[in-house]
Amino acid sequence: MRRIVVTGLGLITPLGNDVSSTWDALVAGRSGLGLLTRFDSSAYEHPIAAEVKDFDATEHVDAKMLRRMDLSSAYALAASQQAIADARLDMSSEEGARVGVLLGSGMGSAHLIVEQQAVLDEKGPRRVSPFLTSFMLPDTASGLVAIATGARGPNFAITAACATGGASVGEAAEIIARGDAEVMIAGGFEAPLQPIYYAGFNAMKALAEHEDPKKAVRPFDLTRNGFILGEGAGVLILEELEHAKARGARIYAEWCGASTSNDAYDMVAASEDGHGIGQAMRDALKRAALAPETIDYINAHGTGTPLNDRVETAAIRDVFGEHADALMVSSTKSMHGHMMGAAGAVEASIAVLTCHHGVVPPTINYETPDPACDLDYVPNEARTAEVRHAMSTSVGLGGHNSAIIFGRWEGS
Amino acid sequence: MDERRVVITGIGIVSAAGVGRDVNWANLLAGKNGIVPTTLVDVSDLPSQVSGQVPEYDMSTYIDKKELRRMDRFTQLAVSAAGEALDQAGLDIARDGDNIGCMIGSGIGGIGTLEQEFDVFFHKGAMRISPLLVPMFIPDMAAGMTSIRFGLRGPNYNTVSACASGADALGTAYEVVKRGDAVAMVAGGSEACVTRMSIAAFAQSRALSRNNDPETASRPYNLERDGFVIGEGAGIMVLEDLEHAQARGATIIAEMVGYGQSADAFHVTQPSENGEGAARAMNMALKKSGLAAADIDYVNAHGTSTPLNDKFETMSIKTVFGESAYTVPISSTKSMIGHTLGAAGGIESAVTVMSIRDQKIHGTIHLDIPDPDCDLDYVPEGPRDVPIQYAMSNSLGFGGHNSSLVFGRYQG
Repeated sequence: MRRIVVTGLGLITPLGNDVSSTWDALVAGRSGLGLLTRFDSSAYEHPIAAEVKDFDATEHVDAKMLRRMDLSSAYALAASQQAIADARLDMSSEEGARVGVLLGSGMGSAHLIVEQQAVLDEKGPRRVSPFLTSFMLPDTASGLVAIATGARGPNFAITAACATGGASVGEAAEIIARGDAEVMIAGGFEAPLQPIYYAGFNAMKALAEHEDPKKAVRPFDLTRNGFILGEGAGVLILEELEHAKARGARIYAEWCGASTSNDAYDMVAASEDGHGIGQAMRDALKRAALAPETIDYINAHGTGTPLNDRVETAAIRDVFGEHADALMVSSTKSMHGHMMGAAGAVEASIAVLTCHHGVVPPTINYETPDPACDLDYVPNEARTAEVRHAMSTSVGLGGHNSAIIFGRWEGS
Repeated sequence: MDERRVVITGIGIVSAAGVGRDVNWANLLAGKNGIVPTTLVDVSDLPSQVSGQVPEYDMSTYIDKKELRRMDRFTQLAVSAAGEALDQAGLDIARDGDNIGCMIGSGIGGIGTLEQEFDVFFHKGAMRISPLLVPMFIPDMAAGMTSIRFGLRGPNYNTVSACASGADALGTAYEVVKRGDAVAMVAGGSEACVTRMSIAAFAQSRALSRNNDPETASRPYNLERDGFVIGEGAGIMVLEDLEHAQARGATIIAEMVGYGQSADAFHVTQPSENGEGAARAMNMALKKSGLAAADIDYVNAHGTSTPLNDKFETMSIKTVFGESAYTVPISSTKSMIGHTLGAAGGIESAVTVMSIRDQKIHGTIHLDIPDPDCDLDYVPEGPRDVPIQYAMSNSLGFGGHNSSLVFGRYQG
């Protein structure tokens, strides 16, 4: 069986525009949330967002292409280029047809479509951008990364709402496992901070409200009242082990297994019994051929909504039994917000880094325990701990669930 | 890992050729044109005024009235087609639901819902936006709602690769069953792009035909072709582990034997030189099937009717098939139903499977003036009886996504 390892990471997050600044913020327990500045938000009582700050795409992306593409694609390209550089992957010496790209997004080019809809309505069909169709789809970023890097292998996007990133990284690994590629540039990206989508999420009554934006997201805390929209991208370089060794690559961690499932219950709400996310966790363990006791850390979906955190806790208890009390479980969304289609990939990257560094980032804003959420959520302060295996879980609208497992690289 | 064989046990189609697989197949064999003057939306100011609309039908067979309002049209079409496929397959979902997944590809998801809510936002304000905007728009919702409606709790997401989305959903679902992660997958593509924004955008990118005569607008391989005609629909099949199908005494329609996928890594809209990327996808599908090009008895082509696609696809078939390119019959379903974008790979694969089942292929209509650059056998005269052991369905998407699927006759 082909083994798969992670050799590079790229992150654009509300905590920082690269891996090291994001990781430093996570370990320091810093919040990346603040008042929403991206557009006029005066209609809202608590306009809070987890915005990417000072993002300069020109470092990574051709200026002419940049003008045509959506902000979400720019995040994806920037994170991909970072990850390739981090992996020291020299695309000029790689066989392009054996390198693929699988970058997922929940919504794709949110800004571009809405901007052009305004053009259509106000100026007429003949003023709509001729570049729109090429840049508006969720798979645009995967195509652009292929063009920029010469990665000519398997190439598409996955969408599974908030489980997009996890599902994308998992399927990309399977593509290598079955021999269809040696390297996959895999991850998720999202840029949902746009007035109409924000209004849509607001109408769902899912967004958190708090006087202090930095305290708005309080996963597993009794007083939690919702999530906050975030944005950015997370990209992993997944590589077949022998391929990585042959080029002397630095290995962060090993991909052990992943799975997806569906609640088959409701369009919006998670199934109360946690059946679906529990099934994804069980199937991922099965795919990885690992016993539950070998998992030391779960980077939880932990959105901060009353329902999610309770259901997820119940599912973890159900899957892990007594070992649930020995697990470290944290929600880094308390710091980087809910990055939607990027969330699963960013959090998978964090799971990789916990294995690599032996440090577990905390759940911040955890003050009042909820009797229905009774696990070790690594409250407020990072913890130094040996992490043999880390799992990242995601749950999405439409009943989608994903779970992915990474293992510490021991050098063999 | 022991690899499973994957068979097809159910088919569902809704397209401009009708509602239901039998009507579709009869109309395609009859060479009936499904392109009509567009009535779904006001196209009076748009340059393209014909489309492959799904005829109005009673959706209540599979969707109750209340649910209907919570679904964008692309989801409604998907649930209808999935229902038909599942009825034919006769799976015991109550028993096997945890091990039956769903992957339905869609290029853009609920674009019609987004366009409507855009109106609400600008005329009535942010607070009037529907709480269902986000869940109805996101492109994974066809897979999500199909799972919810029918109780499919296994692996679940949407693949996006522009016009290859449906093919990649089938290809990925095939790999999921093959590696043993599900006993069956409900997979295919769905799209409901007959909307003002989609038509305006594709027209501006010069991809759409400017010919507004429904009788001649979609004419693949014709010297006078000038673009594709936008269509909508869904094509969904039940892919099943052979042993599982045998154990329950299911009727096996055909076998799925290979999937290849590649990226051009060349240009956002134009195909790579000589159709190199498409050729690689076909070669990969053949290699994984353990077949030579000469073993393929029928190719259901992407055949969009754009000047570039048909020319380059023809070149790529010549690259892969060599001498046998001139003898293998090739037809374009799009000549009758238009380009259903993300649904195309799903619908056309279903058509390919019925061709194998009946040993009969449909023709390419509107091909009265041959293009010297397109000099293969496109079956212009209409349906033909052909002994088919193996057949291939190709899908090529904007952004340089190429996908090729190989199906075979099932013999005990």
